[in-house]
Amino acid sequence: MKSKSYDAIVIGAGVGGGIVACQLAESGKRILLLERGRDLKYDDVGRDHLRNQRISLYGHNAGPDIVGNPRVLVNSSGERTLLRPHEGGYNNNAACVGGGSRVYGAQAWRFMEQDFQMASLYGVPEGSSLADWPISYSDLEPYYERAEWELGVCGDSGGNAYQSPRNKDYPMPAVRQTLSGRILLEGSKALGWNTLPVPLLINSVPYQGRRACAECQHCVGFACPVDAKNGTHNTMIPRALTTGLCTLRSQVMVEKIETDSHGKVDGVSYLYDDGSGIRRERTTAKCVIVAAGAIETARLLLLSTSTLHPKGLGNQYELVGRNLQGHYYPGAFGLMDQQVYDGIGPGVSIATCQFNHNNPGVIGGGMIANEFIKLPIIYWKWALPPDLPRWGMKNKDWMRENYSRTLHIMGPIQDIPSPECRVSLDYDVFDRFGIPAARLSGASHPETVRTAQFMWERCRDWLKASGAIRLWGERPSIPSLSAGQHQAGTCRMGAEEAHSVTNSYGLVHGHDNLFISDASLHVTNGGLNPVLTIMALAFRNGERIASSI
Amino acid sequence: MNFNKYEPSLSALVDTLIPADDYPSGSEAGVIDYLKRQLEGDLIGQAPLLLTCLDCLDKEAMAAYRLQFSDLDASERESLLQSLDSNISSLVWPISPRDFIQRLSHLAAEGYYSDPGNGGNRNQISWKMIGFKVTS
Repeated sequence: MKSKSYDAIVIGAGVGGGIVACQLAESGKRILLLERGRDLKYDDVGRDHLRNQRISLYGHNAGPDIVGNPRVLVNSSGERTLLRPHEGGYNNNAACVGGGSRVYGAQAWRFMEQDFQMASLYGVPEGSSLADWPISYSDLEPYYERAEWELGVCGDSGGNAYQSPRNKDYPMPAVRQTLSGRILLEGSKALGWNTLPVPLLINSVPYQGRRACAECQHCVGFACPVDAKNGTHNTMIPRALTTGLCTLRSQVMVEKIETDSHGKVDGVSYLYDDGSGIRRERTTAKCVIVAAGAIETARLLLLSTSTLHPKGLGNQYELVGRNLQGHYYPGAFGLMDQQVYDGIGPGVSIATCQFNHNNPGVIGGGMIANEFIKLPIIYWKWALPPDLPRWGMKNKDWMRENYSRTLHIMGPIQDIPSPECRVSLDYDVFDRFGIPAARLSGASHPETVRTAQFMWERCRDWLKASGAIRLWGERPSIPSLSAGQHQAGTCRMGAEEAHSVTNSYGLVHGHDNLFISDASLHVTNGGLNPVLTIMALAFRNGERIASSI
Repeated sequence: MNFNKYEPSLSALVDTLIPADDYPSGSEAGVIDYLKRQLEGDLIGQAPLLLTCLDCLDKEAMAAYRLQFSDLDASERESLLQSLDSNISSLVWPISPRDFIQRLSHLAAEGYYSDPGNGGNRNQISWKMIGFKVTS
């Protein structure tokens, strides 16, 4: 069936897609915004402590469904494991309107100037694909500002001694400091470290007609009970829909980006279940923007083969899907002799960027911060000392006495990309629509592990200086695939066609109307949560796309 | 699935994993309800294995004390679980006894410490015990 034509089809109503759809709609373009997940209401997300985006023992609260969305993980020995979305190794991110931003922790970090010049600063370690971005921090700075103001970020604008220059303050002050934050501030002072409150895409005060944070205990991994957490679902996508020019369709799965007989992109084919069976539609458009996340975007480009594009779109150099990266998260726990938990959410309260760069003997580094409020079952599963019995009175006593006395420091460290970390297609495994599943393979470069070990030591330093009487938490040691919610890098930007998939505006090489707008574009992924960079790139690229169609 | 036959040994096991003090034991807080729901839901594929292991637990109690596991006193139960958790057993188990004890420890903790909507943690009792309060 052929339906009406659009100026642009945006695939994925997450962070990158929501922002581009809004910019195009507000500039008068007719947009079809397609999302494979649902448009979730607050109650749909719920507060299930065993099925959420923070701990997914039996399922997810924000998609994808555990049935019908498999992936395949291949380990270093070549063994394949079939995985469902809630299982370890799947590297899931939320699949719903708003994408990850529907349920994220909302840390709103700008990458640093150095993060765009990793190869120039550090050289390229053997076996890695470390490279500079084709743009600099200053190219992105005005768009970081737009993201901070149009979605809404709170923080201390002058608090970070290592922040690259900014032109405008955050629109909102930082959230309230917690007891843990005050204790860790004293520790950082003893060490002479610069710290700051964590910038968050959360309303610390009423903003844009929505309320301030209620300081609840279910922030990261869940939807906000007072709608104070700013994602694209409650900012950019509603704005796009208000124009009357954007049509949002959820629960549709794009199977292919279509091209005409000259190889020019002219629309997409997608599948959905209308209750009586699976339907297929094809819709045409002047341009297509892929924003499905680093794994699904690569999968879709690889699936979009034709006579003129036998390896898929943008894949003439077989780069689509390579350099998959995310973040290692080294961390440590410290037991304090006093209560440190005060129940004030979101809980992530204090961070340092002192070790993002200029560390002796390692490449890059990362931000470290205290952890969000930890659900009790997450504490039991992941935060108990290794030698503590998992049953009996000793275990119960530990929970009772020490849940509220434990500090947890951790953070994302700069992943040193490897071309062997890769998304490809698995023709033995298909999703519910019959589309070949994504196959993930490779392990992070050993330099990533060395940097993780360095940052693990810094986590311990901070806890010790803050008065921890006992430390635990595993030292990172084994290279593994790192993607997850911070997945990035699979369609990297670049100046040269032979070494990148898109140009510096996310336009796929060899095309004039196929764009990418998600973390697939990231050449490297910073030592910081990547979402504000995804947003800034989407603002920058969306502006360019709007003027080109 | 009919769990009645297994309920005494399952309760005795869960209450050895999470014993009572001035806060309730696992079964008193609803962990059995959680487990029943899971064995008919997410864990349905593992239910036959776990129930076979519960039979093994009773046979181990019989071998050591000539009693069902649920008829042992608290120190006997704990002592037997310590042995099994160290893979010291009289019988051949379908999985290692340690794996069973560790697996059940995790499942019991899920019932005890997760949200009451999953069937356990009645009246958020474990959250009160550790100081996790839901304010909004």
